[in-house]
Amino acid sequence: MHLPDWVEPVARYMLETGLKETLKMSALSVTGSAVIGILLGTLLTLPFLVVRAAIRLYIEIWRGLPIIVTIFFIFFALPTFDIRFSPFTAAAVGLALWGSAQVAEATRGAVESIPREQHEAASALGFGWAGAHAHVILPQAFRRLLPPLVSLLVNVVQNTTLAAVIGVAEVLETANRSVERLQLTPPSESHALSIYGGVLVVFFVISFPLTRLAAYLERRLV
Amino acid sequence: MSTLLATFDWTIIRENLPDLARGLERTMQIWVIGIGGSTVIGVALGAARANRIPVISQLAAVYVEVIRNTPILVQIFFVFYGLPSVGYNLTPFTTAWLAVTIWGGAFNTENFRAGFEAVPFRFREAGLALGFTPLATFFQVTLPIGGRIALPSTINTYISVLKNTALLTAIGYPELTSVARSIAAVTFRDFEMITVLAVVYLTIVWTFSILIRMLEARLALPKEA
Amino acid sequence: MRRLGFAVTIIVLAAASLAAWSFAAPAGKPAATHAVTAVKLPKLPALPADVKSRHRWVIGVKCDFPPFGFIDVRGHNDGYDVQIARRFTQLAFGRDNRLSLVCVTTPSRIPTLQSSRVDMIISTLTWTQARADVIDFSTPYYSATGRLLVPNNSSIAARRDLHGKTVVTTRGSIYATYLKNCIKDANVLEVDGTAAAVLAVKNGQADTFMFDDAFVLGVATQDPTLKLTSDKFLNIPWGIGIRKGDSKTAAWVNIALRRMQLKNEFVGILKANTPAKYVGAFVDNVPGPKTRFAYPVGKDPASDCSGI
Repeated sequence: MHLPDWVEPVARYMLETGLKETLKMSALSVTGSAVIGILLGTLLTLPFLVVRAAIRLYIEIWRGLPIIVTIFFIFFALPTFDIRFSPFTAAAVGLALWGSAQVAEATRGAVESIPREQHEAASALGFGWAGAHAHVILPQAFRRLLPPLVSLLVNVVQNTTLAAVIGVAEVLETANRSVERLQLTPPSESHALSIYGGVLVVFFVISFPLTRLAAYLERRLV
Repeated sequence: MSTLLATFDWTIIRENLPDLARGLERTMQIWVIGIGGSTVIGVALGAARANRIPVISQLAAVYVEVIRNTPILVQIFFVFYGLPSVGYNLTPFTTAWLAVTIWGGAFNTENFRAGFEAVPFRFREAGLALGFTPLATFFQVTLPIGGRIALPSTINTYISVLKNTALLTAIGYPELTSVARSIAAVTFRDFEMITVLAVVYLTIVWTFSILIRMLEARLALPKEA
Repeated sequence: MRRLGFAVTIIVLAAASLAAWSFAAPAGKPAATHAVTAVKLPKLPALPADVKSRHRWVIGVKCDFPPFGFIDVRGHNDGYDVQIARRFTQLAFGRDNRLSLVCVTTPSRIPTLQSSRVDMIISTLTWTQARADVIDFSTPYYSATGRLLVPNNSSIAARRDLHGKTVVTTRGSIYATYLKNCIKDANVLEVDGTAAAVLAVKNGQADTFMFDDAFVLGVATQDPTLKLTSDKFLNIPWGIGIRKGDSKTAAWVNIALRRMQLKNEFVGILKANTPAKYVGAFVDNVPGPKTRFAYPVGKDPASDCSGI
């Protein structure tokens, strides 16, 4: 099958440059979200009101704001305090703030879903609060966290497209630039439908298997 | 912190209040249409999926999987910039409510499907035994009960629809985020404008969440004896 | 007597040929070549310390604004602004590859500069007082005018036809401010990039794109379904954006620009980036040895609603 001339440079740009940035940002944000989120979620089960309140505020803010507003805040507003990030870092941090709030909430749910009996058994075995959590509660909670973590991965990958709004050259932005270039050189045919359709396909191919995986894990582990 | 409050430029907010208010009004318009439209789609397709109605059920499944596995921002670009090449020139306003409705409808389809499927079979049996037609059973039994089971997840979807309206800034639709960005672009007062955005969105989201959770407590199904 | 007559003849002939020669030579040509070779190029000052140690310029440019800053088919930056960046690199380091280019958009270019992500921005930056309050401008390097891009069958001929119409422009541009001040009943659509704006007009989602002639003339020439109206307005020069107080960079850039101007290099860069058919339309917009563009300091052209 012979593809039209315009396809090759566009596909190359989108996949070699754009997709690489998408995957890089996704990896960083998911890792950050998981680490911070699990930590905060575990702390959320502590019996200290101040700690719980602070973490609760964190969760409600970063989940309540549209992620794009969080990213705008980091990239455009923080410089007022001389805190400056590159577009890539601003987007990655914004995604991680949202993601960690999601994971914290999921972790809290997972930890609280462990039956009382487990806590009682652990203390019967001589574990203190920390030991009980480290050796008995959390390992079981982590299994229950796996489906939400996979869902988080899917959501973060999709939300990396928000970085296009502040100019990061991930997949969507490379698509935008290609549409632009095609529009402005003869024969002025933007091929926007095919190009944006292509972006949809790329994300579908990445997300669909992961969504299925999350559903499978949900059935098997919980 | 005190220097922050001292240099916070309230006048910029005051001067631009009419524009910001117009922007918020548009955000609300799109949100309300999105809630309505996505609910209608969700109930209809959710019921089709729950009852395994042939053809519609499969098509709905494809619709749901495509929308849920692709980013909303790309969907917005596809509708606004892609569709015109096959003849559908949509205004920014139409793209705005259409995109959020299609997105919300996919999630609500799953929400309502799960809700309807969770209605214990014996309730529907009872409805049929009382002489209701299957359709009437749906409206009198499955929908009210399934709808309430689905309430927490549909509320989450409605809140997400609101947050997604902020993305319409990418196609220039002058909703709240777009207006705030435009003002900041000219005045360079990004901090003030984004603070406004944060306060407005958090207020609406938190208020809505609290109100609905109160309502949910009232509407909740009585616990089984 | 004979010797006198001979001498007079020689003198008259010499005078005549001198007169003839000066009439034959086009006025100014010898003067011009004389000026180019004889003009003294100002010496470049020292580079800022971090640029020197890094041995590289980091410059913000547009990536969606042909023919000034765009991405070519191979994925590389090119354009008038980009060529200026390369020329600066050549002047500073002797090679034009000691350069990192960062893509910026109209809304992001000033934050990117202020955050020191880049040393300067050569990004189709029109001078406005509001911008000059937060960053420093170099001497002008291009002068653009505002134009209206419309579909061929449009009823819009000038700004006075814009009432009630949908006008698209880029977010934070002078045209957005101009429309808000002077054509209040126009429906303004602010998008974040030029591609979006052109597509909006092509798709009928906006009635016209109000923007710099530098960009829309290229679009109208390539796209047979679009045209420019003849209405010209908001003629304001572009400058290179420099962080406020960064006097070393400012001094270097202004001298570099002056050198390029005196050697008439801008015309060459324009010709290399513009198809021949509309070089003529733009050649007066670039600085030459004699040109002096000036920023409208103290005036606010975007609120000057006369002429609509």
